[in-house]
Amino acid sequence: MANKVPDDVYFASISELTARLRAKEFSAVELTRAFCDRLEKIGPQYNALALSLRKDALRKAKDADDEIKRERYRPLQGIPYGAKDLLAVANRPTTWGAKPYADQVFEESAAVIQKLEKGGAILIGKLAMVELAGGGGYRYPSASLTGPGLNPWDRTRWSGGSSSGSGIATAAGLVTFSLGSETSGSILTPSAFCGVTGLRPTYGLVSRRGAMALSWTLDKIGPLCRSAEDCGLVLHVIAGGDSSDPGSAGKSFSYFPQFARKPQELTVGYAPVDFEEYAIESARPDFKSALDAVKSTGVKMKQIELPDFPYGAILSTILNGEMGSIFEPLIKSGKVDQLADKRQIAGLKASLDLPASEYLKAMRIRSLVQQKFRELFVDIDILLTPSRSGPASKVTEALDRATAGPRPQSRGLSGMIPAGNLCGLPAISLPCGFADQMPIAISLVGRPFTENQLLALGKLYQSQTDWHRRHPPVTEPRS
Amino acid sequence: MIDRRAAYNVSMNVTRRDVALLVAAAAVPGPAAPQAAADEETRSAQEALANNARQIDKIDLPMATEPAFQFKA
Repeated sequence: MANKVPDDVYFASISELTARLRAKEFSAVELTRAFCDRLEKIGPQYNALALSLRKDALRKAKDADDEIKRERYRPLQGIPYGAKDLLAVANRPTTWGAKPYADQVFEESAAVIQKLEKGGAILIGKLAMVELAGGGGYRYPSASLTGPGLNPWDRTRWSGGSSSGSGIATAAGLVTFSLGSETSGSILTPSAFCGVTGLRPTYGLVSRRGAMALSWTLDKIGPLCRSAEDCGLVLHVIAGGDSSDPGSAGKSFSYFPQFARKPQELTVGYAPVDFEEYAIESARPDFKSALDAVKSTGVKMKQIELPDFPYGAILSTILNGEMGSIFEPLIKSGKVDQLADKRQIAGLKASLDLPASEYLKAMRIRSLVQQKFRELFVDIDILLTPSRSGPASKVTEALDRATAGPRPQSRGLSGMIPAGNLCGLPAISLPCGFADQMPIAISLVGRPFTENQLLALGKLYQSQTDWHRRHPPVTEPRS
Repeated sequence: MIDRRAAYNVSMNVTRRDVALLVAAAAVPGPAAPQAAADEETRSAQEALANNARQIDKIDLPMATEPAFQFKA
C-alpha cells in the first residue's frame, strides 16, 4: 500500500498534526506507520532507539481513528511520541540504559505514560539514554547500553544526555515529541545540543511514579518538543498531583499562556558575562542576537549575578547520597561492574562512602540556596542564560576534560543548571542559533510553578525567530 | 637433526598463525593494567567526593537551618 503521509509531517507541530488528522488528510494509523518506519530505520543510525513499540502503537492508532470518526477528540489524539527508557511501559523491557537491567520488565506503566495514553498520544518507541541517567558521573558519551547518542546535526558530535534518545528522536523527526527526565541538566542539555525546545517542569509538578529513581529530591520528568507551544500542550496532559509519588506537589497545570503577564510587566535577569565571556567565541554572535530578541519583546532587563554558592558540589553531594542508597543493591551485588563507563562504576561505588553528615549538610545548605533564590525572585521574574556555553562536543571527547582559557572574574549566572535543580525551578531551553554549524540555545528559568509564564515568553520569542523550525538534513537509508 | 626452534642463526619456519599468536599475546595487557586503571578511577571518584566536601565545608551554616525536604512555591 502506498504511503499517504507526506514528508512534511515529520517536522510538523502537534497543533498542525492534530488539525490534519481531524481533517482526515491522513489517518492516525497511516501517520503512526510512517513514524514507526522512520524511527526504526533512522533511530539506530544515531543510537537513539531502545525499543520499537510498533505493534502496540498501531493498535492504539486504530482506536484513535475510530474516535476521530465518531468526533470524540482528545488533546494529543494520534500524535506519535517516544519515551526515555527510564519510564516503565507495562510488560515491555525497561532497561534504564544499563546492561544489569537489560531484561527488566514492569507490570504497570509509568504515570506519565498512562496520562499520555489517556490523552490520545501514541507511544511508538522507547528511547535510548545514558545508563542509569548518568548516576555516578560518566566520563564518555558511550556510557549507554545502546552506545553514544550521535547528534543528528553531525554524527561526530554528542547528542547530550542523559535523555539522549529523546533529544535525537525529536530533532531528527522520528517522533513529534518525547519525554525525558532531568536530575541536573538531562532535559536542557540534549534539547540545546540537538536544537529542540525542552521543558524542565517545577519539581513535583509531574508524577514520577514508574520512573527510575536517581535522586528523590531532584528528579523531574518533562517534554522535548518542536516549540514552546508543544511543550505546553504536552505538559497540560502529563502534569498533576499523584499520591503515589511522595515528591508530588499535588498541583495541577492547565496550559493558558494567554493569561500570563504581558512582557512589559516582566523583569528578566541576565548577566552579560554569560553571553560575552563564558560562552565560547563562535557562539557569542548568535547568543547576542538572542539577547537582543528577548529584549525586543518588551521585557525589562536587569543585570544580576547568582548568589555565591558552590552549586555543583552541593548538588553532587545530595545526588551521591540518594543515588548510593537507591543503587546500593546493584553496587553490592557486583553487577555494577557491567556498566559501560569505568568512571561511572567508580562513582557509584564511592557514593556508598559518603557520610550522612555531609549529605545532611548539603541538604541544609540547599535551604539557604532556596531562600536566596526566593529573595532573588522578588525583583526578577525570569532568569535568562545560555543553556550551555557552546555546542555539543565531539562524541569521543571526555566530558570531564578541563576547559581552556581564563575564568571570567564575575560569576554571572554560571551554575544555573545545578542551582535551578537544587531549587526545583522550572526552565525552558529555546534554540537560538548555531555555532560551528551546531545548535545552541538559551534558557528561561522562573519561579516554581510559573510554567505558563515561561511558555508564554518562549512562544513570543519563537514567534520572532525561526531557530526552532530548523531541522537537520536527516534522510532514511536506502533499503 | 637440528632443533630449529632452539637454534640461533638458522632460517626459522614461522607460520603466519605463529606471528598472529605472538602479536595478539603482546597486545593483551597484563592482569595488573585493568586493576591499576580501576584503582585510578576509584581514587578519582573519592577525590571528587572530598572536593565537594571541602567546598561545602566553607559555607557558614546557621545551627537552626533545617534540611530542605520541602519544595514549595
